[in-house]
Amino acid sequence: MTLTDYKYGDVIHRCFRCGYCKFPINWMDVNNCPAYARFRMETYSCGGRLWLTRAWLEGEIEWSDHLADILYSCTACKNCEVKCPLSFNIDILNMMIAAKGEMVERGEVPSPVKEFLENIQRQGNPYGTSRAKRGEWMEGTGIEAYQGQEFLYYVGCVGSYDTRGQETARILGKVLQKAGVSFGVLGNDENCDGNEVKNLGEETLFEMLAEENVAQFQGLGVQKIVTLSPHSYNTMKNDYPGFNGEFEVSHYTQLLQGLIRDGGLDVSGGYNATVTYHDPCFLGRWNEEYNAPRAVLKSTPGVQLVEMARNKDGALCCGGGGGNFYIDLLGGSADSPARRRVREACETGANVLAVACPNCLTMLEDAVKAEGLEDKLAVKDIAEIVGEACGIK
Amino acid sequence: MDIIACIKRVPDTSEADFIKIDPAQRDIEKDRLAFKINNWDEYALEAAVQLKEKLGGTLTAITVGPEDWNEVLRRALAMGADNAIRIDRDVSADDAYTVAVILERVIQRLSYDLVLFGAQSEDFGSGQLGAMVAEMLGIPHATLVTVLEAEEGKVHTQRELEAGTLQSYTIELPALLTVHTGINQPRYISLRGIRSAMQKELQVMALDDPGLSPETLVPMVKLEKLELPPKGKEAELIAGAPEEAAERLAKILKDAGIF
Amino acid sequence: MDSVYQALVDIVGQEHVSNRQEELFIYSYDLGTTEPHRPDYAVIPRTTEEIQEIVKLANKEKVPVVPLGGGLSLAGLAVPFRGGIALDLKRMDSILEVNEKARYAVVECGVSQGQLTSYLERNFPHLTHSEPGAPPTATIAGNVAIHGQGDLAQPYGFNSDMVNGLEIVLPTGEVCKFGSCSIGSGWYTQHPLPDVGLFLGWSGTTGIITKVSIRLFPSKKIRGVGQFVVEDEELVPEIMYKLTHTQMTEDVIAFSQAIPPFASGLQHFTINIVADSEKELEFKHEIVWDDTLGEYIRSGAGGFLGFRSGLQRPQVSKTSDWRKGGGFEYVGAIMPVETYPECYRRGRDISERHDIPYTVLGRCIGAAHAMMFSWTYAFNRADPETIRQAREALHETDDLALELHGTIWKPGLYGQKLVMERLDPNTLNLMKKIKQMLDPNGIMNPGNWEVS
Repeated sequence: MTLTDYKYGDVIHRCFRCGYCKFPINWMDVNNCPAYARFRMETYSCGGRLWLTRAWLEGEIEWSDHLADILYSCTACKNCEVKCPLSFNIDILNMMIAAKGEMVERGEVPSPVKEFLENIQRQGNPYGTSRAKRGEWMEGTGIEAYQGQEFLYYVGCVGSYDTRGQETARILGKVLQKAGVSFGVLGNDENCDGNEVKNLGEETLFEMLAEENVAQFQGLGVQKIVTLSPHSYNTMKNDYPGFNGEFEVSHYTQLLQGLIRDGGLDVSGGYNATVTYHDPCFLGRWNEEYNAPRAVLKSTPGVQLVEMARNKDGALCCGGGGGNFYIDLLGGSADSPARRRVREACETGANVLAVACPNCLTMLEDAVKAEGLEDKLAVKDIAEIVGEACGIK
Repeated sequence: MDIIACIKRVPDTSEADFIKIDPAQRDIEKDRLAFKINNWDEYALEAAVQLKEKLGGTLTAITVGPEDWNEVLRRALAMGADNAIRIDRDVSADDAYTVAVILERVIQRLSYDLVLFGAQSEDFGSGQLGAMVAEMLGIPHATLVTVLEAEEGKVHTQRELEAGTLQSYTIELPALLTVHTGINQPRYISLRGIRSAMQKELQVMALDDPGLSPETLVPMVKLEKLELPPKGKEAELIAGAPEEAAERLAKILKDAGIF
Repeated sequence: MDSVYQALVDIVGQEHVSNRQEELFIYSYDLGTTEPHRPDYAVIPRTTEEIQEIVKLANKEKVPVVPLGGGLSLAGLAVPFRGGIALDLKRMDSILEVNEKARYAVVECGVSQGQLTSYLERNFPHLTHSEPGAPPTATIAGNVAIHGQGDLAQPYGFNSDMVNGLEIVLPTGEVCKFGSCSIGSGWYTQHPLPDVGLFLGWSGTTGIITKVSIRLFPSKKIRGVGQFVVEDEELVPEIMYKLTHTQMTEDVIAFSQAIPPFASGLQHFTINIVADSEKELEFKHEIVWDDTLGEYIRSGAGGFLGFRSGLQRPQVSKTSDWRKGGGFEYVGAIMPVETYPECYRRGRDISERHDIPYTVLGRCIGAAHAMMFSWTYAFNRADPETIRQAREALHETDDLALELHGTIWKPGLYGQKLVMERLDPNTLNLMKKIKQMLDPNGIMNPGNWEVS
């Protein structure tokens, strides 16, 4: 592909590289682009990536492993899109995804990206663990298979396979049971939601996943979906309608907010902690849901909520988006976004860092360990906090 | 340069605890497994495609297996193979010699400069097939190749031996090489690529096409029994806080004389 | 193995140096019209000591060093014309001290304007600094190194006049301090020691600024901007004189631009007014709008367009999108205020001849002692013809600025040549001697301010 065939060939040169894309909630620093914060070379800024993409498609520079790493270090956190003052900002991230898409079609992706996508092609999850083990997380919980209940509880890959994600998936299941919510899960028949696949530029694989999931959900008569992961929430809410998949999709924090408000869930057991909340990109910037998770925390007795300096649309991504929770191009440094983020959480004086996304949970918990902050800061999913408040252990 | 790459399909065995032996003890139970191209063969294909991109010529991918093995050929076509041939036969009970006889019959009818195999297979791992086929074809071969450069009429190769020792050879063509991992970085094949490869023609041969019959295929070795190793008793799971666990581990290593 | 690369890795660590095509490509480009030149290395140091080591290495290996802050000069001042090391200083981003009582801040060279603004807003809301019109990613050190000005230029002058002290890594690797900090007395003043200020305005050719003490000023509770418009450009100088006489304004800018078309040809003023109370604001409004500009309003020569509380940073980069092309560059020159009408007319003419929507702006410096007048030319980064047009227009404007007895601010290579052609020969010779003495191997940002 040349620049002429590139979908954004007529717009990609319009980035001036003024650097607004690097800002958090204000101008306090230039470290809110996770890849730039990690590496601090201009190549890793949003503008740098756009200029490099153009140079690559124009033939001014050759494809290289390094170029692929630079493009794939974008976590699709959407900070650039929200902060860019220019009119084409709505397409910045799409420009990056389309460039990744070109690398996918040429087969020239970083090897962990190849592994990620091949694992999904083969096993329906990025880890490459068998499809037949997808439902193991729910053993002993009494959670039912979906068979026409009110909600389909869609767990997602991280909740299904990652040890820490599984714990959260179970607790959320128990919370929903306790609240008397009518729901079921797909177990081994659940497949990847495709959100990361799309952001990695594997458009055809994403389309296949979306089509298959929509067909499966419709076949089972699903109307309402509640997701553990904001990544699933995002793609099911915003992308699946394009595949004739019109479902009423909510993130679990939205469902819990309603249940607590309407008295359907008794959280009087409380949770005594000073808590700061980390906005996941796919709930926050991607879907502008800043309120529900905070409302859940605020309505839990004993929770004292404090905000980090970067919050809501100025939150710093944990560095796990765009598949980076697995492909890990941003790890390995005190400048890694997750480590920056947990240090920031510590500065608030909070002893609990609350998250609402299994990807953030694993990223930030690892960062707490790397920073040696285990004594000061615990990373908890809001489902776990609510679980404790309603007496689930 | 005309190249032939021989590839196979293997179960995804990253889930070792999933492997179960079937009641006849001749094969594993396959119904819960996912399948893929043999790891080494992917490197062989990539090496072949890179040579073709550089020097021109044709690439033919060959496999011996039942119909569902077409998927590895589709993959080869998506990677850049021009032709794909499947010799229709269930090889699960065949030894390497039997498969070598079949492949030799097919390859000798084709025009080629270079034949590439993966160095071994992930499932049976005999590592014999490439060398046998080369002997049968009467062409020189090198195994465990980690560096491959071609020029007119010959290839320069390096083989990787124990402890990283490298052997360099220049081999006159036609020749056969078995390729080791690390020789390249196999490209990703997008789903779009695989789908467009579905449109390409795939040649299926019966055993009698190259003049073979089941009766003529007499194995040199016969599988007696397949079993899983008995569960070891040596494993110790170290529990406790990280500091204690680390201390315990250090003591074990020290007692074992490791440091 | 490249020994310079290896030595750089030893100094700053593997992750903070690159000789790969991607970094070399990005650091070869300025955001304006200057032709790119590839550096051999991109390096992002964290400490003054690392910079010292890098400079010593560069001397030993005779490798150029091109320091870079926000990279927003637009005049190509950080393009590595002779290769070498592109030294991106943005990792040196600590605000070291804010002295509330003596009203100054000491910052490392990578601290951006926005970072200080935001820090003051959060921690010292009664203090502010003079923010340039550049995107807030521009650095404070980079700005003083090129004699920038900001939104306090009218009451207090150039930003480089607000420097209370500097720490410099000399081209030979030694660290020097200037101002009261050099005798260990804090960073509160640049004067009255013997003046060895050889670093401001030299665009990184005489050393690398690693720390700056910059003056802070009172920030009143209400800060807002009033808008005024006149049709006749001839009225602009006298309005600037009258406004500065009031001593009631913080920033006085006159501008005119082709977009939007209905406002083309008009001269707009933005006048910042600040106050601590409604009473003070009311008083200042009366002095400015009624007593001073009232006569223009009454005669119909001018119009008051309203006052809006809250300062909004002009998003200069939006100009870059005028040709849907991602680029603009301007000539800024320090001009006598009385030249405004001619600057506007001749500038508009140059723009129109090169088929570029015109945009000109004059910011008052001091009590109308001068103005920074800018002529901005947008171009389309994807269309080499528009880049060529803009470059031609810029060169013509450099000539124009000097013809109108102005002084080009942060000139690129073309403008530097014009300036040096006119420089007093003795001054030029002194510059040459200073440069030779400080930078015997000629490693610092070569190509710039080179006296032949």
